This record gives sequence, structure tokens and C-alpha cells, in this order.
Amino acid sequence: MSEVKVSRTGGLLGTEEGKSFSWDKVRQVANPEIIIAFTLFTVLMILAIFGQFLQTHDPMQGDLLKRFTPPGQEGYFFGSDHLGRDLWSRMVDGLQWSMACALTANMLNLIIGSTLGLLAAEKPGALRIIVNQFVYTLQSLPGLIILICVVVVVGQGFLTLVFTLGLLSWVVYMRVIYAEASSLFQREYVQAARLAGVSRWSIMFGHVLPGVRASLFVIFAFHFAGLLIAESALSFLGLGAPLGVPTWGNMLAESRQYMIRAPWMLIVPAGAIVTAVVTMNLVGDGIASLSRKKGRSIDV
Amino acid sequence: MVKPVVRIDDLRLEFLSQAGAFEALKGISLEIGEGEIVGVVGESGSGKSVTAMNLLQLLPRTKINVPTGTISVLEHDVRAMDEKQLQHIRGGEVSMIFQEPMTALNPVLRVKDQIDDVILRHKDVTPEEAEEMSLKLLADTKITDPRRVYESFPHELSGGMRQRVMIAMAFSCSPKLIVADEPTTALDVTVQAQILALLKERAQTTGTSVLLITHDLAVVAQLCDRVYVMYKGEFVEKGATKDVIGDPQHVYTRALLNSLPEGKAPKSRLATVAAAMIEGNTGDVIDEPIEQVTRVARTGDTILQIQNAVVRYPKEYNLFGRPITFHTAVDHVSVEIKEGETLALVGESGCGKTSLANAVVGLNRLADGEILYRGKNILDHDPETRREIQIVFQDPQSSLDPRWPVWRIMTEPLTVGKSPTKAELRDQAASLCEMVGLEPNQIDRLPHEFSGGQRQRIAVGRALSVRPKLLVLDEPTSALDVSVQAQILNLLLDLQDEHGLTYLFISHDVAVVRHIADKVAVMYQSKVVEAGDSEQVLTAPTHEYTRTLMNAVPSLKRAFAA
Repeated sequence: MSEVKVSRTGGLLGTEEGKSFSWDKVRQVANPEIIIAFTLFTVLMILAIFGQFLQTHDPMQGDLLKRFTPPGQEGYFFGSDHLGRDLWSRMVDGLQWSMACALTANMLNLIIGSTLGLLAAEKPGALRIIVNQFVYTLQSLPGLIILICVVVVVGQGFLTLVFTLGLLSWVVYMRVIYAEASSLFQREYVQAARLAGVSRWSIMFGHVLPGVRASLFVIFAFHFAGLLIAESALSFLGLGAPLGVPTWGNMLAESRQYMIRAPWMLIVPAGAIVTAVVTMNLVGDGIASLSRKKGRSIDV
Repeated sequence: MVKPVVRIDDLRLEFLSQAGAFEALKGISLEIGEGEIVGVVGESGSGKSVTAMNLLQLLPRTKINVPTGTISVLEHDVRAMDEKQLQHIRGGEVSMIFQEPMTALNPVLRVKDQIDDVILRHKDVTPEEAEEMSLKLLADTKITDPRRVYESFPHELSGGMRQRVMIAMAFSCSPKLIVADEPTTALDVTVQAQILALLKERAQTTGTSVLLITHDLAVVAQLCDRVYVMYKGEFVEKGATKDVIGDPQHVYTRALLNSLPEGKAPKSRLATVAAAMIEGNTGDVIDEPIEQVTRVARTGDTILQIQNAVVRYPKEYNLFGRPITFHTAVDHVSVEIKEGETLALVGESGCGKTSLANAVVGLNRLADGEILYRGKNILDHDPETRREIQIVFQDPQSSLDPRWPVWRIMTEPLTVGKSPTKAELRDQAASLCEMVGLEPNQIDRLPHEFSGGQRQRIAVGRALSVRPKLLVLDEPTSALDVSVQAQILNLLLDLQDEHGLTYLFISHDVAVVRHIADKVAVMYQSKVVEAGDSEQVLTAPTHEYTRTLMNAVPSLKRAFAA
């Protein structure tokens, strides 16, 4: 069996493999899907970071004389809503809110889920059993309903929402990391390290964590999309963001009464949610396909 | 050879990938006559499997480019055929036997469904007739209870049994040609001997031609009428098996034969293909003389004693997850090793040799008995002393972290309990590289940038970093090509010489063991059945099993004697 090495793209992922970044490598791996994904992602990031400078109006300040202006007229890029507020500026605000919320919650998920996954995978024992049983219980309950129940009890607000999402939706990290790390802990190079007396923490951070890193990136992207939906759904139901804050969920909720008269009020936040979710899914796919290609050889 | 069954003319083949085209076959020509058994022998990457796959157009057509060449099978031009016509040829006129019968058989179907299906598809018979034919075919492959095998699922059969079923299937439509791609590589030697004999017998009785793809010269010697030696996509030598192996002309064939431990003086230095195949050496250069070293055995006190060791694995669990039945992998085994000598554990897969090795290094716990290192139970030693025992695994592909550069891999054991600087570690790695025969300037590379043999050198280097006294070598050469195996064996012998290392060498390969070991312990069904000086055990075995094992090993010498 001869091996044909397929180009490696470590540079793109920022791992220590393939240290130098070059456009040649990018050209070799980039398929249209990946290019679209990362372009959309860049646009979203620019909007999220520099949104303030791109807003044309004050998102909270309405002009009642200009209610229901259709998109593109009178300087309203995406039209105006029932109180004459600029939908574009509100959408940008909503983007920042959603991104910040999903990002922070996602970080919390990542830390909790992967820590528990790694620890449970390391060796059999009480911790493994407890964590697994807890996860089974959590998985058997419908996620959104649990979130609603908790939010009803703890109340609304950015931090409450972040912590609720952050503390309750790490299961996907735990499951994936647990499965991958369990197999990594059985690898011969880990056994060799153990025999050499390398400590469990060095093994975990030196061998196992880098081994699951690609998966972490992928879950991060997909889970981000899931959190965006969860956040919007809660806000739509009036449980997430406080009323009046321009988030996509709130905007959707407001648009319901004017669906016929001003359909853009519905289309703008809905389109934003769809775009963001699709982008994050594409990014996830992109990272997954990049990490599959990385350093892989085809047996011929 | 009036009418060749297969005729390949000047076939070139390239694989297309994003990294560019890779030329796998460089204009090969091959002919197989009626009823002939022809071997193609070569190392991994030489293109021998590609040749076999391409014969039946099994390679994805979008991934390859064939600039020149014709392939005719039974006087059909297969390159011009469409899928439908090819299907008629495959399985009907030409059938294949693959390396791994477990993956070649469908695990969810009984043998009877799979074998009947082939017959029904290619022959005009009723299901009852097909069943009768299947049972006869199974009986022909020397299966004693064809009915039971016929009703079984593949997982209920042993590896040898499965390969027999594959052979029965291959012969089911009375093909003109059988392509056997490493048919016995996944099997134990004793089973391999039976399967090879069976294949030869079936081919001769039915007058079928066989194209045998293998890496093992001894298998070729035993089975084939003619042989093609393949090296880097070319046939460097072809001819009658006797001539090629008895009097090789090409430098590669000679080097390959010289790299085999069989027939060489124990512990002598083996020739390596790499040394012979230097640029520009096209075959008429005289073999490079091999510098011989005299090795003096410096045996000292007993370093390791295994006393009545028992290793068990849980087999069934009760409701609460507690094991209730056990499989005994190592059953009251006692052996001892003196300092500076090599003890080999020989046996077939599943005999418990790896379980015992893992127990020595502490990866397995003993259920009973004890292992004494320098007279003291190994578990009572402090970690520093326990590090004097290191292990080298079989497959360097999986025993090296794919994300770590070589210097980090090799010096990982040195970081335990200390915090040396990066520069110190890199220095250490460079000197370890020199010790195991790697270029010191390669320490920044990642494992996948090395060949299999070089990776095994890295693994040995890592084990040596803590200056061990005892090295457990778990099949260190079985994942490697023969020529690379020679390099690693040379390296191990040199290292033992220089550093007075003690080896516990696990292997299934009798020729390798004879070459490297001072003492041998033969394991069979979890027990040591015979132990003693290697020369004595391997030339005059007393136990029944050792004799079976010795007779089963394909050997160049015996093939010629026959």
C-alpha cells in the first residue's frame, strides 16, 4: 500500500501541525462551501464588533411619522417598525446581544462539558458513573422546556440567560469529548507516557486535549447555532431578553401583529436568525472537513 | 503458455490527488498462463495491490489516470469494458480472495446466503442445486463439518475457517483465474500453512490460474511457479521461482533475500535494501559486503523473574457490573531473564504473550503469582527503578502522538519530575536520534513525515531516553516490511551490544526469534509449553506444538528441498 499524502492545513486551524500559513495551502483545501462559510462568518463578526459605527439610527429612538417605512426608503435600509425605529440598527443591536449571549454561554458549556468529559474518560470510577448518569437524566428531559422552567423561576436578563444556557446545555460537549478521550486514553502513546511515569495532568493536557481539539472547534460552531436558536426562542416567548431590548426574538414577537402590513418587520429578524444559524453550521462543516483532511493519507 | 489468461502490456498508472499525480505503476508487463500460479512479491508501496485491483478495474476511475497500457483478461480488453460487462467477469471468470476474510464477508448474512448468492448469480441453477454445490465446495476446502459452517455467521468461524469459506466462494463459479491479495497475511502461521496448501491443491485440481500478491518470499517459494519481483512500480525481476530465489540477478531481489533472517547466523548483521538501492545501482553492481561484528554475550545476574503469573480478563458481568466469569490469558507462567540476554516469547495470536508483556511493564495486573525485578516484587519498587523497564509497541503508527514533533516524543519520559529546558531536551533528542540511526536535524518533524521503520526507531529512541535496563519489545517488527525489519533487528542487536540491554522479545516469527534471541519460551493456549536455549528449542523441539509451529513456518530452504 503506498501512501499519497494529501496536503495538510494545520495553519488554518491554528494547531501546531503545519506551522506556516500560506495561501497555497488555503487554495488547496478551500472548497466553495468553506469560502462562503468563512466570508459570512467574517461579515457577522465585523457587524458584531463594529456594529456601533455601522448603525444609521438610534435603535431605540422612533419617529412615529415614519412608521412602517418599507425597506430602502427614507434612509431606512431595512425599513422601520411600528414605532418608526430603524430595523437595520435594531438588527445590529440584536446581533450583538445574541452573539454575546451565545458566545458566553458556549464558553461556559465548553469548559464544563469538556472538563467533565475528560475527567470521566480518564479512568473508571465513581466520577464516571455519576457524570454519565447525570447526563442521561439531563438528556432524557426536553431541553427547551427545562430552560423555560428555569427562566420562569430565575427571571429575565442577560446574565441570567447566559448562566441558564451555560449551565444546562453542556451535554453535547461532555458526550463527544468523553467518547473521543476514552479512545485516546487507550492509545499506545498514552500508555507509553504512563509507563514513563508522566503525570495524569501532563497526559491530559499534552496528549488527550490536543487530540480532541478539532472536535471541540466543530462542536463549538454547531452548538453556537443551537444556542442562537435557543436564545431567540426564549426571547420570542418573552422569557429571554427583557422586553424592549432589541433582540431578534423580541423583534419577531413584536412583528406578529403587523405581519401583513409590514412583512419586513418579520423578515429582517427571521432572516438574521436563519443567516446566523446557517453560517455557524457551515463554519462547523468547514472545520470538520478541514480537520478530516488534515495530515490524512489515502491508502491506495 | 499457448493462451495466456492474463496479459498486461506496458501498463502505466497514476493516482490523481490534490497534491499532484503519483506514479504507482511505471510500465509493467505481466503474463499468466493457463493453470499457472504466479506470484507478485514486493514491499508495501511497491504497487503490487494496485496491479491486482486494476486487473479487475476495481480502482475508482476518476481518481486514476492510465496513460498507456493494455490489460487483457481471457482475451477481453477490460479497459474498454463497461461496468456491466465487468460484472460478468468479476466473480464469474475471475474471482478474488482478500487479505482479511472478516471484512470481505458480510457479517450480517449466513455463509449459506453469501455463497449461494454467488452461484445463483452466475449459474443457471435452482436454489436447491446451489445449496448442494455450496456444500460440496465447502467439503472440497477440507472443512470437516460443511453443514455447520454453511449455516453459520462469519463471526462464529475462526479466521482460518473464514478464509476457507472465501476460497470456496472464489472457486464456486469455476473461474479461470483467482487473484489472491495477501490471502494469509492476517492468519497465524499454522493456519497459513494449511490455507496455502489448500489453495495450491484446489488450483491444481481445477486447473485454475492464480495471481498471488504477497510480501513474503517464503510464501512465493512454497506456492508459485513463476514470480515477478516488484519495486517502486516496476517489475525488476521475473522468472521461474526457483531461478529468481535461488539465483537472483537484480540487486533489489538479492538485497531482499539477504535481509531475511532465515538462514543467517544468529545475531549477525543483516543486509538492508536501503543500502543496496543507492542511486544509480541498477543491478549489476556486486553486493555491498556486510561488515560482520562478533557479539559477545555478557550475561549477568537474573534481572527479571516471572513466577506463576496469571492474567485474567473479565468475560461476563453480573447485574451490578461485577465480573463473574474470566478468560485466562496467562496461566501460571514462569520464566526468568538474565541481565544482558534476550528472551523471546513465541506464539500465535491469542496465546497470551502480549498480556504477559503488559503485565511486566505494569499495564496489566496479575491475578496470581508475582513478577520480581532484581529480586524484589516489581510493584514494590520506587517509580524511578520501575522506569528501568520500558516497552516498544508493535505499530509505531499508533504508539507515537501524531501531533508531537520527534524531539518532544523522544524526551517525554525525561520531563517526569524535572523541568529541563527546551534546549536541553532538544540536545538529548538529537543524541538519541544518533543512537537509533536517525538524522539529528530531523527532530522538528512530525511522525507522519517518517517511514514505518524510522517511526519504529523513534519509538525505540523514546524507550532508551531514560536509560532502561530491560526493554520489552512487543512484536517490534511485525508491522514493518522485511527489509526494514532487518534494519530494526540490526539496530536492536547493536544497542544491546553497546548498552548491555536486556530484551523481552515478543514475536510470532520463528525466523526473527532464532536470529535475535538467546532463550526462547514457546507459549500455547496461555501456557509456556517449552522453554530453553533458542538454538536447542528451535532445532530440536520436544513439544508437539513447537514442532507444528516450526513445520508451519514457510521457509525458503524447505521450499527448495521439496
